[in-house]
Amino acid sequence: MSGDLRSYIIRRLLMVIPVLFGVSILIFSVVQLFNPIERAALFIRSEREAANVEGIIRKYGLDQPIHIQYFTWLSEVLRGNLGWSKVVSKPVLDALVTFLPATAELTLYAAPITILLGIYLGKKAAVHKDKAIDHATRTLAIIGWSMPTFWLAIMLLAIFYGYFGGLFPPDRLSVEASIYVQSGKFIRYTGINTIDALLNGQLWIFVDALRHLVLPTLTLVVVQVALLMRVMRSSMLEALGQGYVVAARAKGLDLKTVIDKHAGRNAMIPVATLSGLLVSGMLSGVVITETVFNYKGVGWWFVRAASQLDIPSVLGFSIFAAVLFVITNLVVDLLYAYIDPRIRLT
Amino acid sequence: MSKRRGIGRVTLALAIVLVLVIAGFSYALFSFSQQAPSPTIVQTQTIVTTISQIPTTIVQTVTTPQITTMVQTVVTTPGPQVKNPNTLVIATIGDVESLDPAWAYDTASAEAIFNVYEPLIFFKIDPSLPAEKRGLTGEFEPRLATEWVWDDPRTVRFKIRENVVFHCGDTLTPEDVEYSFERAMVQDRDGGPVWLLLEPLLGVSSTRDDEGNIAVSFDDIDKAVEVDGQWVVFHLAHEFPPTAFLQIIAQSWGSIVSKEWAIEQGDWPGTAETWQQYNNPETPPLQNKMCGTGPFKLESWEPGVQYVLVRNDNYWRPPAKLERVIVKVVDEWTTRKFMLLSGDADMVVVPRQFVPELEGTACEGLTSTCPTGIRFVKDLPSLSVDAFFFTLDISTDSEYIGSGQLDGNGIPPNFFEDPDLRKAFAYAFDYETYIKDAWLGEAIRPCSPIVQGLAFFDPQAKCYTFNLDLAREHFQKAWNGQVWEKGFQLVLLYNTGNVARQTAAEIIKKNVESINPKFKIEVRNVDWPVFLRSMIQRKLPIFFIGWLADYPDPHNFYQPFFHSSGTFAQWQGYSNPQVDELIETAAKSTDPAERQRIYRQLDSIYYEEAISIPIDQPSGRHYERDWVQGWHYNPIYPGTYFYTIWKGY
Amino acid sequence: MVMPYLSSRKFEPRLREIRFTVKRLRSSPLSLAGITIIAAFAIIAVLAPVLAPPADPSRPFNIPRDGFSSEPRPPSREHIFGTTEGQYDIYYGVIWGSRTAFVIGIVVVGASLLLGISAGSISGYYGGRIDNIIMRITDIVFAFPGLILAVAFAVALGRSMESVMLAITLVSWPTYARILRGDILQVKQETYVEASKTLGGSDYWIITRHILPNAIYPLFIVATLDIGSIVLLAAALSFLGIGVPLGYADWGQLINLARNWVVGPPHDPLKYWYTWAIPGAFILLFVLGWNLLGDAFRDILDPKIRRR
Repeated sequence: MSGDLRSYIIRRLLMVIPVLFGVSILIFSVVQLFNPIERAALFIRSEREAANVEGIIRKYGLDQPIHIQYFTWLSEVLRGNLGWSKVVSKPVLDALVTFLPATAELTLYAAPITILLGIYLGKKAAVHKDKAIDHATRTLAIIGWSMPTFWLAIMLLAIFYGYFGGLFPPDRLSVEASIYVQSGKFIRYTGINTIDALLNGQLWIFVDALRHLVLPTLTLVVVQVALLMRVMRSSMLEALGQGYVVAARAKGLDLKTVIDKHAGRNAMIPVATLSGLLVSGMLSGVVITETVFNYKGVGWWFVRAASQLDIPSVLGFSIFAAVLFVITNLVVDLLYAYIDPRIRLT
Repeated sequence: MSKRRGIGRVTLALAIVLVLVIAGFSYALFSFSQQAPSPTIVQTQTIVTTISQIPTTIVQTVTTPQITTMVQTVVTTPGPQVKNPNTLVIATIGDVESLDPAWAYDTASAEAIFNVYEPLIFFKIDPSLPAEKRGLTGEFEPRLATEWVWDDPRTVRFKIRENVVFHCGDTLTPEDVEYSFERAMVQDRDGGPVWLLLEPLLGVSSTRDDEGNIAVSFDDIDKAVEVDGQWVVFHLAHEFPPTAFLQIIAQSWGSIVSKEWAIEQGDWPGTAETWQQYNNPETPPLQNKMCGTGPFKLESWEPGVQYVLVRNDNYWRPPAKLERVIVKVVDEWTTRKFMLLSGDADMVVVPRQFVPELEGTACEGLTSTCPTGIRFVKDLPSLSVDAFFFTLDISTDSEYIGSGQLDGNGIPPNFFEDPDLRKAFAYAFDYETYIKDAWLGEAIRPCSPIVQGLAFFDPQAKCYTFNLDLAREHFQKAWNGQVWEKGFQLVLLYNTGNVARQTAAEIIKKNVESINPKFKIEVRNVDWPVFLRSMIQRKLPIFFIGWLADYPDPHNFYQPFFHSSGTFAQWQGYSNPQVDELIETAAKSTDPAERQRIYRQLDSIYYEEAISIPIDQPSGRHYERDWVQGWHYNPIYPGTYFYTIWKGY
Repeated sequence: MVMPYLSSRKFEPRLREIRFTVKRLRSSPLSLAGITIIAAFAIIAVLAPVLAPPADPSRPFNIPRDGFSSEPRPPSREHIFGTTEGQYDIYYGVIWGSRTAFVIGIVVVGASLLLGISAGSISGYYGGRIDNIIMRITDIVFAFPGLILAVAFAVALGRSMESVMLAITLVSWPTYARILRGDILQVKQETYVEASKTLGGSDYWIITRHILPNAIYPLFIVATLDIGSIVLLAAALSFLGIGVPLGYADWGQLINLARNWVVGPPHDPLKYWYTWAIPGAFILLFVLGWNLLGDAFRDILDPKIRRR
């Protein structure tokens, strides 16, 4: 039984390999659309550095045929070297390790709140279908969903940081806290500030980090909650129409029990899928939120890399995104099996 | 049964997380309101409580008016509360690329480097002058050298300061100095700053030839810089203006690193055998670690995010007043603005076009205190110039010259070889409107590449002015009248995000099109890589670009602008042997009178040729919180020199 | 005998369903609001040349500039919505921007449907290796968050309206391919398809006559309702500096030009409200319209909850 499960998991994890090959070949082909000088522009940020373009092209092998470039890259990757991320001036792997905790921290707060709020609102709306409360919650959620993220983010920043005199600041930590975190007294276990603060027993740093998390979290929740709510609402409506629910209600069970014990569980399956997508989406990049709140994570890194044609970074990020995607899917499937034992893992 | 327990557990877990999160946020909110958002409120509360402890009788008779006055005074004075009193926080836009002094060639990196490493000599700081003029560009003061002597025009020796200790514990020796310069020349990456050292010391601009093969011998490098007891001697390859040489080595690429430490980091071991392996590396050997002698040490660097410097308490001068400096990269202007307004940042970069947003908020002058706590100084001279350049032989496959013929639907590749056409464009540019709109009036109109602030600057240099009648005259003469008769069509490119270049392009379009309806110009934006590529491949009929001084000497400007091997002239396809010779002679001359004469001659040829048209020399602005003291400016600095700064009132 | 006319009126099930749908839509206030909003925008888009006559009819999407200075200017008689950074006329921009929004939405939906339907039907019908390959390709696309992948494509394709649309299309087709594939797998089991197969129907015949009609209509509607999100994605690309060329009438561009003017000087924080509020309101309303409609439609089209 557990052996079955293990081989299932391994098989699923191995699926990442074809995806990775596809992604990397795709990216390398796209890169060929660019002239070597355009790719050298990554190394020439100002006209002062433009004196010797040919030298730069030669040094980084930018004019070599695609297959040679690809195999050079691949053999380095197989040796565990993902290359140099020019846009952040450090090895790609280091860049991932530095920027992931920030994004993970944001996800840690934004994802559960979005999911739980979405489930709650969705349930509420389904139970009160076509009543005022249904319309009101849906409209509000949809308004949030319809807002351009950066518009909302800048508004929030203007109100809660600008107007209220620095109530919820951007960045990840205040100056005092970041000095303390940088000092040797603070051990960075995970890079996730709130968790590290608790592990170090520094409540004030925990609070400081939370204050900086409020606005980005709020932005993400407002923009994303409508999706979850909608899925929860319709699958709940579907569940409420099932024979056994109708029967249970006919038997005189009160609505609350029926919803919690019977309908709710079946309604969870599509929600689980969407939640998986939500989490992996947040982990692999919430670029705009990260930019406005100066909360630098992997998404910010990737967009910078992509717009400056920093190919090793783009490839490194793709590997990360693909692995993340496969793992999230796996977790969602395992969750299915857990929620509904009728589903077989094969 | 088991089913029910299952779902229960999931809900429970989710519920616990939710409760934790909500509790956390509300605690954060609550504790914030406890923390008292603004210092003035704290003050008011304390005063009120102290006063309330005074016996009631007195309160009734005396103190009531007192409370109000006291509270008022506290509220109106800016108060002694300084946010993060020992830490300077700067929010900027440029990323540090590398902390290796031989590699870094951008201002953001150089700013970090020149606060941590030190050169032999440094630009003189004259405390008797106002802050914006305090940094001199042509006079020097000792740093790691205590004195320096020119033995002859090709030999200069520096006496190395004793008892200076590097941040990593090594003591400074003359060998460190020799090593620092030799390692820079050994490294000499493509597109890096080391050509500045190679030109005077080896007489070449690169250690490699055009094919990328090593073209100098180690002997040359080795002999250029030698230790002589406590002295280090520099042997120049040819005569070179002495001030210019000192200006070069006083900057970040002249930084002294610890030899022992650098070798430990895997850098060049100082031997002749392996030096070629260390030439033009793919990544900098001293990328993210620093061991200098300067007033600050590197504490941490998170590329793209921030770097933190801490005070060096073992500095050979009195230690800096600031304990820490944090330089953050904040891309979004609105975010930076709020950081300045709230005092979370002490200085921020304010792009020129957003200056109106701080109007009425910041007080002018660096000695003022301001009710809003923000002050600024403007008209800081810069050593940079923007210009537009005509390409004389445009690549025939350019997509920006329409038909490629003089038939009204394009331009021929040698369109701008006719000087009348170049002059016509020069007269058609509205310099005043451009400076007013693109720079809000805060820029100087330069006439030659020798901009104000450089030696041999000529305030009377001849200049093209905006004159549509003259422009029309020249257009009518160009190409024997064919241009006027048939018209033309071309595309002007600028790189996205560069508002000044966009404005310049649109001004050309508007004015040139108004002269003759057959003249058609399209303005288009492309990203930097495409812009750069099109420029290098000579696809642009006219390109806009700027130049920032490497060292404040006219040669550093005339070379790229006018010499046939200069960066811009090369892209234009311009070559004039007479000009080349003049530039080379001036660069190797140690006689100021001769240089003066040559540069005047170059100025007048430059005006006649109209090969490129300088359009602005921007003046800078500096914004700071009014608790920042001791900031000073030097146009050649890559950024802020932190040593002189402290916070307080 | 029943007259054919009557029979189709009364008994044609598809028509009956559509009429039911319309009835349901009309009874839902949210969907009515959505329809009204979209209709209003459609009118603006159609009447754009009348509402804001272009100076150069050959390039109507270029927003006219009035001067070159950066600081936005407030609404005046000349510029009724004011000008944004760089003196681009906001009124002209939002009016023609409505057209841009519809163009982006319709072209992207059309193109990604085309791609999605081809890939999805091939994949679902043939199964096996082809299915596997196509599904792995969709995996690759899904492995990236939409915005991030769109950025990569848009950078690769260069700066133009076409490349923005192409980038978003490349990101959105796999969703439709997957939905269609799933539906086809379901339909394939139905007896009438089996029957047609045993009777020797060609693949093409079976796909186009039996499978697609039953799987495609819901897909069409789902896709159409994504127009709102697509416009948002295009706006986000603009924010990241990868959108349409500067000066092109596009709401995302207008908001992007306003990004640094959201808050005025501290004593007058709303000084530049017109730069962000007006384009923001346009984009918000437009997307809201589609999303409201979409929300209502999803209820009505979902067969499991349709009749409740």
